[in-house]
Amino acid sequence: MNNNVKAVRAYRRNLSIALGLILLVFVLIPVFVKSPYVLNVFVLIFYMSTLSMAWNLLGGMTGQNSLGHAAYMGLGAYASCLLITKAGANPWLSALFAMVAVGLVAGVIFYPCFILRGPYFTLVSIAFGEAMRQFIINSSFFGRASGVGLPFGKDSLLDFRFMSKVPYYYVGLVMLLGIYLLMKKIERSRMGYALRTIREDEDAAAAIGINPTKYKVMAVVVSAMVAALVGFFYASYIRYIDPELMVQAKSTESVLPAVVGGAAYVEGPLVGGLIMIPLSEFLRAHFSAMLPGINMLMYAVVLITVIRFRPTGILGWYMHSKAKDFIDVKVLKKPPIEVLEAVELEKNRGKEA
Amino acid sequence: MANTPIIEVQHITKRFKGLTAVKDVSFSIREGGITGMIGPNGAGKSTTFNMICGYYPPTEGRIFFRGQDITSKKAYDYTNMKIARTFQIMKPLKNLSVLENVVASCYFGHAAAKNEHEARERAIDILQFTGLYEKRHILSKDMGTPDQKRLEMARALATKPELLFLDENMAGLNPAETEAAIELIRQINQSGVTIFLIEHIMQAVVSLCESVIVLHHGEKIAEGTPGQVMNDPYVMEVYLGTKGGAAYA
Repeated sequence: MNNNVKAVRAYRRNLSIALGLILLVFVLIPVFVKSPYVLNVFVLIFYMSTLSMAWNLLGGMTGQNSLGHAAYMGLGAYASCLLITKAGANPWLSALFAMVAVGLVAGVIFYPCFILRGPYFTLVSIAFGEAMRQFIINSSFFGRASGVGLPFGKDSLLDFRFMSKVPYYYVGLVMLLGIYLLMKKIERSRMGYALRTIREDEDAAAAIGINPTKYKVMAVVVSAMVAALVGFFYASYIRYIDPELMVQAKSTESVLPAVVGGAAYVEGPLVGGLIMIPLSEFLRAHFSAMLPGINMLMYAVVLITVIRFRPTGILGWYMHSKAKDFIDVKVLKKPPIEVLEAVELEKNRGKEA
Repeated sequence: MANTPIIEVQHITKRFKGLTAVKDVSFSIREGGITGMIGPNGAGKSTTFNMICGYYPPTEGRIFFRGQDITSKKAYDYTNMKIARTFQIMKPLKNLSVLENVVASCYFGHAAAKNEHEARERAIDILQFTGLYEKRHILSKDMGTPDQKRLEMARALATKPELLFLDENMAGLNPAETEAAIELIRQINQSGVTIFLIEHIMQAVVSLCESVIVLHHGEKIAEGTPGQVMNDPYVMEVYLGTKGGAAYA
């Protein structure tokens, strides 16, 4: 037993060192990389992956394929921008307001919609996104099609306003990590198990005492709140928003990192975002001048290839690959799962006693 | 208390558009025992079962649990009343491991686990009891029928029921597996759980049930001990065949 405990501790230590190193690389990137363009790509990765994590809570974990996440993001951006420009509120407070408001809107609108199952929910989410966009285009309060700009001024953390991209890089990174930890926590909680049970079978969920509607509404509210936070971040970074933010293509973009990375995993959107967004930017920068649209075509080919040959995503492949076995056993020195389990049980018994 | 039946069904009828699937059926389930329901295919067994478990409301009639009217309760309220069920067509959470399947159940019901440690520990106990412990890290979709049937029971038991509904839990099992399943059901019953089961396998019904209800064309045609029911001439005719000798099909 004692050897087992040691082995588990060694594995935990190796794992934290590995994760710590990866984190350190991300923290140090702005120190060495000075190109604003490259930093911009990273900021893009951070907020798009966060948006994709929001989608993944609903799409990957609950099995409700939403195609309206750009609308939540857009509404979050509008709610915070209008509060800042019209009422002069502090941006950080307006972010909180935006999250609560968008969460409420999503909850109220989707509560009756969850009587619908499967593809019908997806259709409603598309309609929701388009309806919101049309509403904003036609409302003078929301600035119609010309959008809303945020005031420029001196750099200030309080006003979340900077000339340089580096502060946005770090705030984006913190947002990404915070939302990742939140999703990880949800996955292992009662709510996470309820959502995955609903994804697999709603009747089976009801049989063990899960109210499917209640948990689906919880998922959509949390998901919309996270998307609203991303909207606030986007607005503060770009400093100008317009209804184009909410077009259907943007919703699809929020789905891609999760699907390519592996929608069954909380880490899926991170892996997918890290690969797909630089790829998309690279194709745009290098090929779009040759033939208009060629970059989109190449992007589509990559996407179709991944979905055709790795339908469970990159992580779905990695989790059952030799590469993972190699890294687990040789690099991290992971003990067999029985040992991990025995040590965990022992530790819990100790806690209870 | 002991005299009040745990479930009392009063004159339930279910009509799907023009089709009457179940017609004026009444019976009761004694607390602590094993009650069975048999009948040919299409007799309305699963419909009756789904009505009692809240999956669809009866068109007419009422259902009582320990004297309390539960006719309009929703399916997801049942585990809080300490009632659990399994499905005839297994519904494992396909992409989760066997352990996670049971952990999910441990999080819900009247005695829901408060944290992940507690849920996992209880799930492991239940997997040991149902004989699935060795397979706990397999994805449930990768298991065979006998193990998926066991998993159905394990998931139901994880909600700590006092009344367990089993819908054809032995269909598709070979004789040895059936024997093991009968033994498991007996153990569950001895641990204090009242059981109501639908079954096609006569061997199981005869050896387990103290009382049997026979349905035919949506109507109850007989009720009694397995011996009484099997010797009922009408039951023999419609269900077991006209000659008594061919009863053990």
